Amino acid sequence: MKYVAIIRQVPDGESKIKVDGGRVNLEGATLILDQMDEYAVEQIIRLKEAHGGEAVVVAFGPERTEEAMRTALAMGANRGVLVTAEGYVDPVTQAGALAKVLAEEAPDAVFTGGQQADWDSQALGAAVAEALGWPSVTWTTAFELEDGHAKATHDLDEGAEVVRVALPAVFTTQQGLNEPRYPTLPGIMKAKKKEIKKIDAAELGVSGSKVEILEQTIMELERKGKIIDGTKEPAAAAAELIKLLHEEAKVL
Amino acid sequence: MILVVMDHDGNELRKGALEGVSRARKLAEALGGEVAGLVVGFGAEGVAEKAKDYVSKVYVVSGPDWETYTAEKWAKAAHAAAEAAGARVVVAPASRTGRSWTARLAVKMDAALLEDTLDSWAEGEKVYATKYSFLNRVLEKQAGSLPAVISVKPNTTPLAEPAGAGTVEPLAVELGELEKKVEVLEKIVETGGKVSLTEAEVVVTGGRGMGSAEAFQMIEEFADLLGGAVGATRAVIDAGWRPYAEQVGQTGKTVQPNVYFALAVSGAVQHQAGMNKSKVVVAVNKDPDAPIFKETDYGVVGDVHQVLPAMIEEVKKLKGA
Repeated sequence: MKYVAIIRQVPDGESKIKVDGGRVNLEGATLILDQMDEYAVEQIIRLKEAHGGEAVVVAFGPERTEEAMRTALAMGANRGVLVTAEGYVDPVTQAGALAKVLAEEAPDAVFTGGQQADWDSQALGAAVAEALGWPSVTWTTAFELEDGHAKATHDLDEGAEVVRVALPAVFTTQQGLNEPRYPTLPGIMKAKKKEIKKIDAAELGVSGSKVEILEQTIMELERKGKIIDGTKEPAAAAAELIKLLHEEAKVL
Repeated sequence: MILVVMDHDGNELRKGALEGVSRARKLAEALGGEVAGLVVGFGAEGVAEKAKDYVSKVYVVSGPDWETYTAEKWAKAAHAAAEAAGARVVVAPASRTGRSWTARLAVKMDAALLEDTLDSWAEGEKVYATKYSFLNRVLEKQAGSLPAVISVKPNTTPLAEPAGAGTVEPLAVELGELEKKVEVLEKIVETGGKVSLTEAEVVVTGGRGMGSAEAFQMIEEFADLLGGAVGATRAVIDAGWRPYAEQVGQTGKTVQPNVYFALAVSGAVQHQAGMNKSKVVVAVNKDPDAPIFKETDYGVVGDVHQVLPAMIEEVKKLKGA
């Protein structure tokens, strides 16, 4: 059996980001393995531990993505394949290139985060699946293997659903699926020696992006910051709050 | 021609469908042609009779194969309808389901995908859109070539008004091998009959400081009074007090209501990523230094167990007046 996690390197949510000349500049930001992808990495390691086989990490991104890939290898993945490209390439175009890598790897199941913390996109997993002609399950919270199939629970807009899916298939992950482990010191040492194969995106036919980013600006909404002290007279504070929401904000 | 895929609940069009029609009309004005609609799935025939008031033609994909949703099936139906309509742009709601099948459709159409957009427009042979990125902290302007697939962020676009009577046309779409590979075994509706979290104009979220699963009855009562939806923080979900479907934040849902109540929520960055674009933010927390107060329009420093019951009474008075 072989299991793949598609990962991305993204800025830490608590890290300051800045914009220079209409573009986000990540210089100085702490870059990490996307937290939503951690569930994917944990899942392939667990599957490998339970059923044997190989856990492989695959990524599309700039050279620096290797750092996030090393984190996944330190958690316990066996090896990595990194498709390298500098600059913005939209998720659907990335999916086309990643599908070529996956077709070659021929895994039984692929996992990736439900939403990327840099693009705020949810497209990657489903687009990879479509490019491969495989089924996909988004926002997976439970997963088990059943004779060439997977039984998975996943979230929809108004609840959840249990599905049976023919493998190979792509699953996007979220909190609840598992509890990602931390890399251990021996794991980190071992990860340094694990193989990361690099492929230039151009070799996989990527010649540009279907979507172009024209401008980025930091959005900080100005908040009113009207704070009422309700420690002594909670009922009066509640009354004042509701009055403000009704008369001033006009939202009630 | 622009195709708009119209979400529904089996009886009525969802708000997202009418937001989509508004967007599609604007694009049709710039690119030429008319707006066609697609309704798929359970109850589609009945809904099509309502949908035809908004578009020139409604394609209907229904029947036993289409009773349950899967991304594979919806992408196939949308692709078939886009080809039938000769559509160069497909507009769809950026609901969770919408975002799972539009990515597939973009691959099928070899199209640019503009996802979760706040606004969209066309000039020449290009479509443009704005969206948030970097956990809702950055506003991004994007351009895509045609064909394009555009998903519309909920609560961003005026609802379309009816504009005459269109025609209804059944569309026969055969399931292929791929579409048969996912079988829905069980559906667990957790917000049945209530407004969905991502579409709600009022969201009332409880945090760990609520103290117990039982304390969320108060939150439900308050949300019901305001016609809103209940949200929860990651800590609450981890504690098992509420279902995953209600989680607001980086690893849950992103909401953008008119008014967002954060009750006993401390306001971690990961939570802010899910709600920081709400128009008005209200917080109640006993800790005056809680980070949520930095993101707040109206806040009360106090014990939620004392303040919330009083808020419920005040809203009842207001509604009764």
